[in-house]
Amino acid sequence: MDKKSQIQIGETIAVLFVFFILVAIGFIFYVKVIQSNLEQEKDEASQLRSVGIAQRVMFLPELQCSEDNIITDNCIDVLKLESAKGIMKEKELYYYDMFEYSSINITQIYPTEAKWSIYSKETDDFSSKFVTNVPISLFDPAGRKYGFGVLAIETMLK
Amino acid sequence: MKRAQMEILGLAIVVVLILVATTFIVRFLVLKSPTEYRAGFVSSELASNTLNTFLKTSAAECSQLSMTELLQDCARAESITCDNGQSSCSFVNSTAKSILSKTLGIWAIRYEFLAYTDAKLPLIKIGQQCRGEKKSKLFPIPATTTTIYAKLDIC
Repeated sequence: MDKKSQIQIGETIAVLFVFFILVAIGFIFYVKVIQSNLEQEKDEASQLRSVGIAQRVMFLPELQCSEDNIITDNCIDVLKLESAKGIMKEKELYYYDMFEYSSINITQIYPTEAKWSIYSKETDDFSSKFVTNVPISLFDPAGRKYGFGVLAIETMLK
Repeated sequence: MKRAQMEILGLAIVVVLILVATTFIVRFLVLKSPTEYRAGFVSSELASNTLNTFLKTSAAECSQLSMTELLQDCARAESITCDNGQSSCSFVNSTAKSILSKTLGIWAIRYEFLAYTDAKLPLIKIGQQCRGEKKSKLFPIPATTTTIYAKLDIC
């Protein structure tokens, strides 16, 4: 092989080497971007699931106020709370399908302070945790009076 | 065209293509801002739920009258005096202050609560005026001669 051919082969190898380095850099960049997009999408999906769980709790028939089959929005019947707590403990699997790993607490702020914990299934192995606080009316059907409360939904998502 | 000139032209085309591809990737993939579904849901619900719940709340010290009824009296003649000696206006004011500080205050959310018939002379004003973006909820309450507006701004 003459010297000119050897130089040309060397040149080709150098060009290919630079080309593959550029391809590798591009690939690494692409993978990083895809990875960050996936994480972003995962976070968005977690947020949506958390909002879904919060809405399911807010419109739970076991807790909602109703009169003559007419439902009052944004209201929890205090008398239903204790029964709901017992039912949720008894039928844990059914409610797990609805609320997954979360804890649902209701705190009365006015007229007196009180707290009810109606569902709690927690895990240490979670990737994101969201707390949603929803101000809600607490209706006492016996005295026909409304209190001011907060429905706190803490969701843990894997 | 000479061979060297052809090669330079080819190189220039490759560089332009790489620049276009990079701009495209940066524009659509890297600078894509995350969608805050939960924050949107929470802030849109918060103002309306807080105000709605507050207006419906029964005042234990004022014969279980609702805050709406007390506001109506406050705008009318302040004829109601609660068990603790407070007038309707001052009772709504102190209760709203207490409830909002135990909720929005604890959650470190800035707010402004107003109840007025004339926006320049509010009957009740709690919190600081929002600067910049805010979520607002306005509830008109009919009274005998006028309309009372209860407004909550979440900053």
